[in-house]
Amino acid sequence: MTPAATEPDDDNSVKMMDYFMQLEYREPLCPVVRRYADQLLEGRLIGHQCPSCGLVYLPPRGYCPICVVETTDADETVLSDRGTVTNYTVVTPVQYYGQHETEPFVRASVTLDGGNATMNLQDLVDVPVDEVRVGMRVAAVWKPKGERSVADISNRSWGSAEGCIDGWRPTGEPDAPAEQFLGKATF
Amino acid sequence: MTTHTIEFPYTRTLGPVIGPFLTGLRDGHVLGVRNRDGRVLVPPLEWDPATGEAIDVDFVEVGPAGTVETWAWVTEPTRKHPLDHPFAFALIRLDGADTALLHAVDAGSMDRMRTGMRVVARWKDERAGHITDLSFVPEEAA
Ligand SMILES: [Zn+2]
Repeated sequence: MTPAATEPDDDNSVKMMDYFMQLEYREPLCPVVRRYADQLLEGRLIGHQCPSCGLVYLPPRGYCPICVVETTDADETVLSDRGTVTNYTVVTPVQYYGQHETEPFVRASVTLDGGNATMNLQDLVDVPVDEVRVGMRVAAVWKPKGERSVADISNRSWGSAEGCIDGWRPTGEPDAPAEQFLGKATF
Repeated sequence: MTTHTIEFPYTRTLGPVIGPFLTGLRDGHVLGVRNRDGRVLVPPLEWDPATGEAIDVDFVEVGPAGTVETWAWVTEPTRKHPLDHPFAFALIRLDGADTALLHAVDAGSMDRMRTGMRVVARWKDERAGHITDLSFVPEEAA
């Protein structure tokens, strides 16, 4: 714990103290996430397709939790970087400690073309918050190759491509019918 | 490898003893409190650690010099340590105190540290009212 500066009270005596408890830890990426991160740097989204049920997991987990079977490099599949908004939340930021956003923003679930693989908590770019809708067609906005970073990819950031994809931009294609996404669980 | 940092920001109230103690540090004084037996506790406490009795708050200024009772050399300080170069953590019994204060001694070299040595407070120019407002140096170097 590191004591930070104290705040003098109005009688100019010290009555309060800011106190930061900080935990910092480092962890190695597990092999399947390491491979996912390396492929992100190359501009590819990869997943594992369960050999039993066919569901695709992105990033690969090395197993299908539904079938309880292991998945390996042999089950790897390259996924599309285009997809459809299948759910979203408008976040109105409260200025708590660590919140850097000041204006309402969207976090969307994007189901990638060709399967069930869905990336959650994705940023949308070049679209006003009130125009976002389920069914909207979007494409990944990749950072230039030299600017990509996987420093924030962790073993638990399932579906994240932060540091490699700036967000998802509407393609202008006609919407996919929203009904086909509603009431469905995504993986 | 990925690095995670979790921070919990708290603001603590300091109370009737630590508040004045840190106010004293900000103003360049080290304060202790006198217990019922007349012993001077530094750092000051709200309760007597020997008996558990509440302390009648009676501040006494101590130091700024004192005697090292025991010490440990820190060869590789981390960024959370009070000094950014090797130093000693020492129990320092300040002049006028009956208990020892844990603090940093900036001795330059482990060879200059010994139990029983005299040290004196070195104050920061800009003080915020916390324990790192001061550190200690060997008296002959002051
Ligand atoms: Zn399966």
